[in-house]
Amino acid sequence: MSDFLLAWIVLVPLLSAVILGLLYLYSIRVAKLSNTVFSFFGLSAPFISLFIGLGFFLQMLGSDKVIIYKAYKWLQVDNLVLDMAFRADHLSIFMVLFITFVGGFIHIYAAGYMKDDAGYGKFFFYFNLFLASMLLLVLANNPIIMFVGWEGVGLCSYLLISFYYNDGENVEAGNKAFMANRAGDLGFIVGLITLFHYVGEYRFDYEGISLAIATVPLPALTFIGVSLFIGAMGKSAQIPLFVWLPDAMAGPTPVSALIHAATMVTAGVYMVARFHFIYDLIPNVGLYIAYIGAFSSLFAATIAMRQTDIKKILAYSTMSQLGYMFIAVGLGSYSVGIFHVFTHAFFKALLFMGAGAIIIALHHEQNIFKMGGMKKHTPLIYFTMLIATLAISGIPPFSGFFSKDEILLGAYARGEYLLWAIGVVTAVMTAYYMFRLFFVVFYGKNHNTKRKIEYVSGYMKIPLVILALGVILSGLVGIPEVLGGHNLIGLWLENWSNDYAEVSHNTEFILMSINVFAAFIGIFIAYKKFFNYDMTKVPKLSGLVWNKFYVDEVYNFVFVKGLQRLSSFIVIKIDINFIDMAIMELSRGFIKTGLFVSRMQNANTRYYAFIMLTGISAISMYLIIKLG
Amino acid sequence: MIDIVFAFLSLTAIGGGLGMIVLAQPIYSAFSLIVSMVAIAGIFALLSSPFLFAVQIIIYAGAIITLLLFVIMFLNIKNENLPQEPNKFNIIIVGAILLVPFNILIIKAFNTLPHKSMKILSTDFGSVQVFGMELFRSWLIPFELISMLLLSALVGAVVYARKEKSNG
Amino acid sequence: MADSLMSYVALAMILLSIGILGVVSRKNIFIIYMSIELMLNAVNIIFVSLGRYYESMQPQIMAMLVIGIAAAEAAVFLSLIVVLYRTKKSLNPDVFTVLGQKRE
Repeated sequence: MSDFLLAWIVLVPLLSAVILGLLYLYSIRVAKLSNTVFSFFGLSAPFISLFIGLGFFLQMLGSDKVIIYKAYKWLQVDNLVLDMAFRADHLSIFMVLFITFVGGFIHIYAAGYMKDDAGYGKFFFYFNLFLASMLLLVLANNPIIMFVGWEGVGLCSYLLISFYYNDGENVEAGNKAFMANRAGDLGFIVGLITLFHYVGEYRFDYEGISLAIATVPLPALTFIGVSLFIGAMGKSAQIPLFVWLPDAMAGPTPVSALIHAATMVTAGVYMVARFHFIYDLIPNVGLYIAYIGAFSSLFAATIAMRQTDIKKILAYSTMSQLGYMFIAVGLGSYSVGIFHVFTHAFFKALLFMGAGAIIIALHHEQNIFKMGGMKKHTPLIYFTMLIATLAISGIPPFSGFFSKDEILLGAYARGEYLLWAIGVVTAVMTAYYMFRLFFVVFYGKNHNTKRKIEYVSGYMKIPLVILALGVILSGLVGIPEVLGGHNLIGLWLENWSNDYAEVSHNTEFILMSINVFAAFIGIFIAYKKFFNYDMTKVPKLSGLVWNKFYVDEVYNFVFVKGLQRLSSFIVIKIDINFIDMAIMELSRGFIKTGLFVSRMQNANTRYYAFIMLTGISAISMYLIIKLG
Repeated sequence: MIDIVFAFLSLTAIGGGLGMIVLAQPIYSAFSLIVSMVAIAGIFALLSSPFLFAVQIIIYAGAIITLLLFVIMFLNIKNENLPQEPNKFNIIIVGAILLVPFNILIIKAFNTLPHKSMKILSTDFGSVQVFGMELFRSWLIPFELISMLLLSALVGAVVYARKEKSNG
Repeated sequence: MADSLMSYVALAMILLSIGILGVVSRKNIFIIYMSIELMLNAVNIIFVSLGRYYESMQPQIMAMLVIGIAAAEAAVFLSLIVVLYRTKKSLNPDVFTVLGQKRE
């Protein structure tokens, strides 16, 4: 397969987006087009990219080949040349594969979910544009191009969250997402600039940077590592830049599934893995990353335990799982982190899609305590969501078990017992809140029998099934040797793994059992509380946890109100009082001087005589001095 | 001897001048001025111009200041109607300071002239005959012009001071 | 002391200064007039002393003409004072500011 097809992985969705955009403009200005036209382009694009990606994957199986395709020279400044180049190595091809696979099926799901929406074409335009940006991000050969993709996904996230723009709150949520991303991007840019300052004289692609990275002094390297991670904090919703993720649920559910579960939020993890050559040299920063991940994970799980909106529970669960991924990449097990990205994509997308199906079925109801007893109404959704919930709770043989286990094992083996403990506690909480959701939605006595269950289209059901299969099977690539597997993904991403102390097989078994046991504790507590939940007793919720620890309120007060006060201060004090005053005073000064001077014409003869006297005096003094 | 006379005369002149500008009532200032005028006439005499000495006394002290005295008495200003002058000393002092450079300049300029004796001449320099000859020989036209000037001043003064029947 | 030009010039300068001070500092129109006359006299002293210095009659004649002019000026000046006194009943020249800038 010729190299230039690498570019087409990105180009196909991009072109499709452009065509969709033009078609949409046509359909609202000239003549309406049916949904099928849009679906044709929108749905085929991801799968075409998938097939191209598969082609490259097969080429790369069994060898360490890295394929770089240079499309054109993008920038040349002095000695530095930046190309629009794509890089297919094991990491990026792996990402391409599951992004297009999961993404493609979410596109199919969206075709069913959004079928009645007037902006159908616009939706797919944004969706394909997003996919193109995400693929550009992972396939970029230098950090600048990656940043182009990074910004692109941020933009599309904003566009898609504010999709139902008629409601002002949705637009505010979109703004919030964009701004929090932007705050993170500032850190990212600062990190990139610093990196460029040290190594960027001749080339600035990944290979070039990794070759020159040893010349960067350690303090600068630490600064770069932290700054780049700030970008990841914004994109991947870790503390303190996570506040946009729950609000982002205001967008349509396919958006939440694709962007905020499977792809965009994992860009931060990818970035850390991509820059592994930097983070390998600064293990302190890595530890800091791991701790942020751990605390974000714990924090999000705590909040999720008390939420009632189904999508918000899933949003916090995403943040929590992202925390796990950062624990892994922070400690240097990049391949394990990417493995969790992979498994998480499947089960989280499945969870969101299932939740979306339930929401549609119940006419846009999102409060879980107003659902209940859905098991007999929507058995397919019930079954697929059960698989996903088991996966996220870490029950074998589903994929989540393997990836989560690897993360915790890595923490334990490196001696980071606190991180391991936080991970286990969070696993208990994860199991608890996920099964709380599951039991409340699908079991429980539903006293509200007057609801009509809306039909859920086939477009939406098929992806659920496919992804459920994916959830079951995706764990297979990472079965560790201790259980008889070959740890395929570890081998595939060998260049991105760091060694740690060997742990005996017995210890591994014990740790695994602890994980499973922890999950069962969570499930058991949820079962006891919520299995036969009486729907009429909707709990009144209040308190610190329910109010998400008031983080939003604090941010609002400090940043939003702070900035507003600062700008009104500047407007009033500085602009009006100071600058305007200065200009007014200047012109008034001229007028006053004129008046003052004109008073000399006061027709008082003696005054004139006095002035003449001073004049004579001055002239005499001058002459004395001049003539000696 | 001459020096003493000169010193006496100059001091009188200066004293009269100072008195003129310091005294509050115009009558007293006018008397001061008369004293000064007479002293100046004496200075003219010291400078070998007897004719001017006489002219100064007759016309200046005898006519001009007298006219002034008439007008002052004619207007009959009461003490309280005099203009208030609270700051006159301050202004005099400031003015004096301002005038110093001017004086220095003029005196320096005159210093460049070589020294010559200024004794009173015993010739008829400055006598009436010589004065008259000079006047009607080279200064005839200015003489005539002065007479026309005096005429017009006379007419003008009378016209101005008429009672307001027409335009006063 | 009477022998040098400089003493006469110094005397004249002092009288001139006194005259200028009188014009500038007094608010009484009569005093101002008298100061003007004093200045004219000071200038006459300079004229005559220079006449003596150069032994020429010309400055003396000029001095007499100055005296003539002073007489004419006296007539006009004093009649003007009478007229102005009739209008404003004040001897203060500061009162007559009709032609000047109005103070706001």
